Amino acid sequence: MSSLSSRLLLAVSLLLLVFFGATIVVLDSAFREAGEQAERDILDGQLITLLAAADPNEAGELVMPLVMPEPRLGAIGSGLYAELRENGDSTVWRSDSTLGLDIPFGAPPPSGPPVFSYLTLDDGTPLMSMAISVDWELANGDLRPYSFYVAESLDSFNAQLAAFRRQLFSWFAAVALIMLLSISLVMRYVLSPLRQIEDEISEIEDGRRESLTEGLPTELDRVARNMNLLIGSERGRSERYRQTLDNLAHSLKTPLAAIRAVLSDRPAGVDSDKIEQQIERMNDIVRYQLRKPAALVSDGFGVGLVDIPNQLDRLVDGLRKVYKDKSPSIDVSVAPNAAFRGDTGDFLELAGNLIDNACKWCESRVRVTVSVPDGGGMELVVADDGPGIPEEAAELLLKRGMRLDESAPGHGIGLAVVKDIAAAQGGELAIGSADLGGAEIRVSVPLG
Amino acid sequence: MRILVIEDDETLLASLVQQLGDAGFGVEQAADGREGLYFATEYPVDLAIVDLGLPEMNGLDVIRQTREAGKTYPILILTARDRWQDKVDGLAAGADDYVVKPFHIEEVLARVNALLRRSGGWASSVLTAGPVSLDTNRQELRVNDQLIDLTGYEYRIVEHLMMRAGEVISKTELTDRLYDQDFERDSNVIEVFIGRLRKKMDPDNSIKPIETLRGRGYRFALERTGGD
Repeated sequence: MSSLSSRLLLAVSLLLLVFFGATIVVLDSAFREAGEQAERDILDGQLITLLAAADPNEAGELVMPLVMPEPRLGAIGSGLYAELRENGDSTVWRSDSTLGLDIPFGAPPPSGPPVFSYLTLDDGTPLMSMAISVDWELANGDLRPYSFYVAESLDSFNAQLAAFRRQLFSWFAAVALIMLLSISLVMRYVLSPLRQIEDEISEIEDGRRESLTEGLPTELDRVARNMNLLIGSERGRSERYRQTLDNLAHSLKTPLAAIRAVLSDRPAGVDSDKIEQQIERMNDIVRYQLRKPAALVSDGFGVGLVDIPNQLDRLVDGLRKVYKDKSPSIDVSVAPNAAFRGDTGDFLELAGNLIDNACKWCESRVRVTVSVPDGGGMELVVADDGPGIPEEAAELLLKRGMRLDESAPGHGIGLAVVKDIAAAQGGELAIGSADLGGAEIRVSVPLG
Repeated sequence: MRILVIEDDETLLASLVQQLGDAGFGVEQAADGREGLYFATEYPVDLAIVDLGLPEMNGLDVIRQTREAGKTYPILILTARDRWQDKVDGLAAGADDYVVKPFHIEEVLARVNALLRRSGGWASSVLTAGPVSLDTNRQELRVNDQLIDLTGYEYRIVEHLMMRAGEVISKTELTDRLYDQDFERDSNVIEVFIGRLRKKMDPDNSIKPIETLRGRGYRFALERTGGD
């Protein structure tokens, strides 16, 4: 239940269900009650017809005419049944329609108004029945107790009810569907500015856009404006922070270079080597501490994807110039889906340190492969055909500032920087040996 | 060979100029980007050393505009910002190599020599032409695998001639290579050095490595066999 529109749809669907459900229950019971009432009136009428048709014979007993005024009573299995009993239990007469059926009319009701009840035939057919007990005054003035029964099958009533329900359900289903459709259309329209913001934010995350479009509906416009201010100040802040670090590094290193240049004249009375050591220490501190990965400076908002093939091309072109004397063959292959979300400088720092080291140490071949690890991102593998890195040295190398070989400065710090950047992005650095014969450095960085 | 140094730190600039001069290069200097660009495009320069963080105009723009002006001589970047982004930007702008501050002056000299050698068309640090081979890293000259003992001046002259083997090098240019600008010049000294070099390299006058072109200068005459 993450998106607003699915929340709204669910809420509306539930409301519709409750509302329509209640309506259906009410309508259904109203229809049912009205139907039953009509049925009772019919049965009432039938009882009156029966009473009117009954006539005492010469023996003073009630008899029914051979042909009933209601033709359904004469048709077998018509669904309308009648019976006349005397003294409550002896059947005097049954309508022809009851032929072959045993209608379980119960005990005679007490005298008074007609009594209504439900019956069930042996085969399960439901019936509605009405019975009345009367004391018939004969010609001679005797009163004899008779009971009149009528019953009607509910089959046709139930069929009507079912048809009504079917119609009710299909109408309501159609109405509900139309309402849901129109509500989702309305929602699309109402929520479209939100959707636009959502799309634009993901574009900003991918670096395809600088800021949110302003001029949205009033409720959202301020959000967008404030968001843009936030993005802007965040960008500016991390940029300024990095600038400050860069300037600090710059303004420390030039004097160091000047001290070194003065020392190279070997001035008398100065222990040049000791000063040289201190210069080297300061340089290491400046290089390592003042080169924080951008990923640590910024929280990654609004950071785009690096154009890996293009940046690698630029880097390798540059390194080919620097290593022109050695002219190593540098093979680069980049998987098309490989992605690095972050600062271009960080990417160049990763690739630059690794490829530079490989060029420095290789005999003649360097291979750079960028592939896509499980779950996206990029895995950068730099292999060379140099002497390789022994296992015990690999561990030391990964510690910051540690140098494997003083004669090739920067190897250690470079790797420590690579490790920091990878770690800042949740990635890993591994040192192994390459099938080319030398070292193979593997950096995998997930898609942040 | 003339080297242009553009660096805004006074001590560093003075030191670089001093050391490059000692190594036998003619040196032009500029302390800001605008002045540097003027020298880079208007003066005869064989190599430029450019600091990236310059006042007036940053080093990247100086490099870019120098290249746009059609200058093809090698450019070495000095940078304190050793983020790879800056190195890559510098190289892409047209520089050929970089040195990160704080550098050892020897490293700068080594890079300068390598760049000059490359721009002379030599791909390897050992220049070979027939029986003559010059190892520019060790500063050793061999003829027929025999190590020739040379003075510093003699080495500079043979290196300069061999770097640009096949080209005519004027006496003035060789004098520049030997002395600082303000030094008193005596063109006879060059003739003396060339004579000594010929004697050392070719005692029986069989291979004739250095040709004299009267009134124009000298030329290293042996066919290049290594590099390029």
